[in-house]
Amino acid sequence: MTAVAPTRARSRRLPPASVLVSLAVLALALLAVVLGRFLFPDAMHQDILSSTLAPGEDGHLLGTDELGRDVLAMSVAGAASALVGPIIIAVGSMVLGVILGTLAGYERGWLDSVIGRWTDLLLALPVLLAAIVVGGVLGGGYWVTVGLLILLFSPSDIRIVRAGVMEQSARPYIEAAQMLSLSRWRVMFRHILPNVASLVITNMMLNVAFALVAFSSLSFLGVGVAAGTADWGRQLTDNRAIMFDNPAAVFVPAALIVVVAVAVNLVGDWIGQRLSQVGEEA
Amino acid sequence: MIGVEITGLTVTGPAGTMVQPFDAEIPLGTTLALIGESGSGKTLSAKSLIGLLPRGFKAEGAATVADTPLPVGRDDASWRGVRGRQVALLLQDPFTSLSPVHRCGDQIAWTMEAARGHRMLRRERREAVAARLAEVKLPEHVAEAHPHQLSGGMRQRVAIAAALAADPQLLIADEPTTALDASNQAEILDLLRAIQAERRLSVMLISHDLGLVRGRTDTVLVMQSGVIVERGETSRVLSDPQHPYTRALIDADPVVAARRGSGEAAAVDLDGRPTLTSAQGIVKTFGHRTVLHEVDLSVREGEIVGVVGESGSGKTTLARCIAGLEKEDGGTIDFAGETLAPGRASRTPDQMQIVFQDPYSSLNPMMSIRAILAEALAVAGRGADEVPAMLELVGLPAEIASRRPAELSGGQRQRIAIARALAPRPRLLICDESVSALDVSVQAQILELLSGLREQLGIALLFISHDLAVVRMIADTVVVMRDGRVVEQGDCAQVLTEPAHDYTRLLVAASTRENAPAGAGKD
Repeated sequence: MTAVAPTRARSRRLPPASVLVSLAVLALALLAVVLGRFLFPDAMHQDILSSTLAPGEDGHLLGTDELGRDVLAMSVAGAASALVGPIIIAVGSMVLGVILGTLAGYERGWLDSVIGRWTDLLLALPVLLAAIVVGGVLGGGYWVTVGLLILLFSPSDIRIVRAGVMEQSARPYIEAAQMLSLSRWRVMFRHILPNVASLVITNMMLNVAFALVAFSSLSFLGVGVAAGTADWGRQLTDNRAIMFDNPAAVFVPAALIVVVAVAVNLVGDWIGQRLSQVGEEA
Repeated sequence: MIGVEITGLTVTGPAGTMVQPFDAEIPLGTTLALIGESGSGKTLSAKSLIGLLPRGFKAEGAATVADTPLPVGRDDASWRGVRGRQVALLLQDPFTSLSPVHRCGDQIAWTMEAARGHRMLRRERREAVAARLAEVKLPEHVAEAHPHQLSGGMRQRVAIAAALAADPQLLIADEPTTALDASNQAEILDLLRAIQAERRLSVMLISHDLGLVRGRTDTVLVMQSGVIVERGETSRVLSDPQHPYTRALIDADPVVAARRGSGEAAAVDLDGRPTLTSAQGIVKTFGHRTVLHEVDLSVREGEIVGVVGESGSGKTTLARCIAGLEKEDGGTIDFAGETLAPGRASRTPDQMQIVFQDPYSSLNPMMSIRAILAEALAVAGRGADEVPAMLELVGLPAEIASRRPAELSGGQRQRIAIARALAPRPRLLICDESVSALDVSVQAQILELLSGLREQLGIALLFISHDLAVVRMIADTVVVMRDGRVVEQGDCAQVLTEPAHDYTRLLVAASTRENAPAGAGKD
C-alpha cells in the first residue's frame, strides 16, 4: 500500500524513546521466534538430577523447573508458540474485519444487517469461556484455538472498519469516484481502505496484545498448547508449584508476556498516529 | 477617550514571524475592519488579543481597553477574568461556538453569572436572559431552544447575545457572517452596528469580504502575509486604494466587478443551440420533507446556466439528481435526447461530472495528484501520459503531480478537482458551489478558468451558487430557486438587472449590499 510512505519531512523525525525501546523489545522477541529452536534445540531436555534449581545454580542462569528444564532456554524457545498464535489471530481477524466491515459499511442494506447480527452474536459470547468449551468439545489443539480466537476477535474489527468506512463513504471524494463510474470494488479497496488503514492497523496491533494475553490464559488453563511444548502460558501453569523454589520459572514468562504486550501496544499506537498523519495538512 | 489601543502587536509561530508589529486604535463606538486572505495573519492577530493563540504561537506587544492593559502574550491564567468581560470573541460558525446540548438561555446566563461571580435567582435570570435576547431582536422563548432548533441567522444572534452577556468593551468578530446566507449576512452586520452604537462598543471585524466591510466599518487595515499594507478610513481605502494588494482585492471582489460592469459574462450567441440536458417536473422528497416540487431546468450545448438560491432552496439536490448521485422521486431527466433512469447506473462518466464545494474533502487524501488524474483519465481510456496536459489545462505546473492534496492550497486543489472532472471529456460540468470556499482573488481565477474552458472545450456548465455576484460574472442564463421551486428564470443580465419576482429582488439587493443600514452612511 502506497499509503504507508511517510512524507519527507516526517520520515526524518525519530520516534519517542518509549517507542524505540518497544521496537527493540519486539525485534528481540521476533528474533527469539525465528531463532529460538536453533539456539536451544534441546530446551525441553529433562534432567531429573538438577530439578528445580534456583537461578545461577549449576550454570543455569535462570535456574530450572520441576523437571530440570532450563528456564532461560524454555523462555526463549517458548516465544514461538506464545507469539506466532496471537500474530496469526490478529492478522486473521483483521482480514475478516476488513472484508466484512468494508462490505457492511459501503453496501449497507441487507448485507449490513446480516453481518451486524453475526457480530452481535459473536460479541455476546465470552471469549475465554467459548474457547474453553469449544476447545473441550473439538479436543483442543493449537490451530483449533487459533482459528476459534480469530472468529471471536473479528467482531470488534468488523465494527471498527464498518464505522470508518461509513464515515469515509459520505465524503465528496467518494462521490467523485462514483461520478467516474468506478467499480464498487475499486471504490471500496482503492479509495476507502487506505483512508481507514490507520484505524485497521492500530486495532490489529492492539489485538496482538489482547490475543497474546488471551492465548497465554488459555495455555495456562490447559487449552490450546499441548503439555510438553515450550510456551510462556504453559510455563506459568507448570511452574506455579515451585514459585518459591525458583521464582524466575514463573516470573520470567509472566514478565515476557506483559513486556511484549505493552511494547506491541506502544508501537501500534505510534504506527496508527503516523499513518493518520499521512493525508493531513503538512 | 480612546477605546482600544494596540501598540507593536506581533505574533511569532513555529515558522517565524507570522504578524509583523503593528499599531491600531479603535475609538469607542467604532468598527475597525481587518481585511486579508486566508493565511494573511488576520485571525492570529485577533486571537492574540483574547489570549487564544494556538500552541506554538506567541504574541508580543501591548493593548489597552479603556486604559486597562490586556495581558497580551501572557499565560491562560492571566486572561481569566479578561475574556468575556473586557474582550469577547464572536466566531464564524455559531454551530460550533454554541454548545449543542445546552439551552440557548443557559449559555447566555453562564457568562452573566461568571461575570457577577454568583448565581442568579430563577426569575432574575429569566428576565436578564430575555433582555439580552431582546437586544439581538429575538423573542423570549428562544431561551428554551437548543441551538439545532434555530436557523443559522438566529444561532449567530444567540452567539452575539452570549458574547456580549458580560458587557465587554471590545468585541472581536472573526468572519461572523461567512457561514450565513446573503440576506442573513446583512441583517447580522446591521444588528452588530446598531448594538455597537447603543453600547459605545469597540468592534474589530475580521473579514475577507470587502463588500461587507463597505458602509459598515469606520476604518480598515489591509493585511498581506502578516504585514499591514494599507490603512485608513474605509470609504477612502475602498474608493482610492494605494497599495497594489488592496487594489487586487477590490478588483477580485465579484460585487465590485459587477458594479463596474466589467465582470459580466461575455455574451455568447446561444440561439438555435440544441438542448443538452433537460429536467422536467423533478420531485424529490427526503422522508416527509419535499425539497423539490416539480422543477424544470434545461441546459443547451455550451451554455452556462447559473442556479441561485439560499441554502435549503433545493438547488444542490437538483444538481445531484441530474448527476445521478440522488434518485428523483418523480419527473424525467433527458440527456442528449435520451431519457436517463434515476441513479448513477444509467449514466456514463463522459456525460457529466461534478466539481464540489469543498476542495479539501473532494480529493482522496491518500492518493497522489498523478494517481487521482490517471484514474480519471483511465475511465475514458486515456493514458497516464496525459496527466501533464491535464495539469496544463487547469493552469498548474507538471511538477505538482507527485504531491498529495494536503500539500496544495485550496485554489490548487480546486483546479485538480476541475482537471479530474474534465478528464473523461464530459459534455456537462456541474459546479456545486465550487468557488464559495475560496478566497476572493482565487475565486476570480477559478471563474476565469471555468469560462475559458467553456470557450476552449465547448463544454456546458451548470453553475450552482448562493452568491448572485458570482453567477452574474459567469452565467448566460440564470434560474432562481426558493423552497424547492423555480421562481424566475431567463437571461442572466436581464433577470439580475430587472428582477420580476420579489424574491429575486431581495436576493439582488442582498448581494449588492445596497440595503446599507440606516444612519450608517453609505460610501
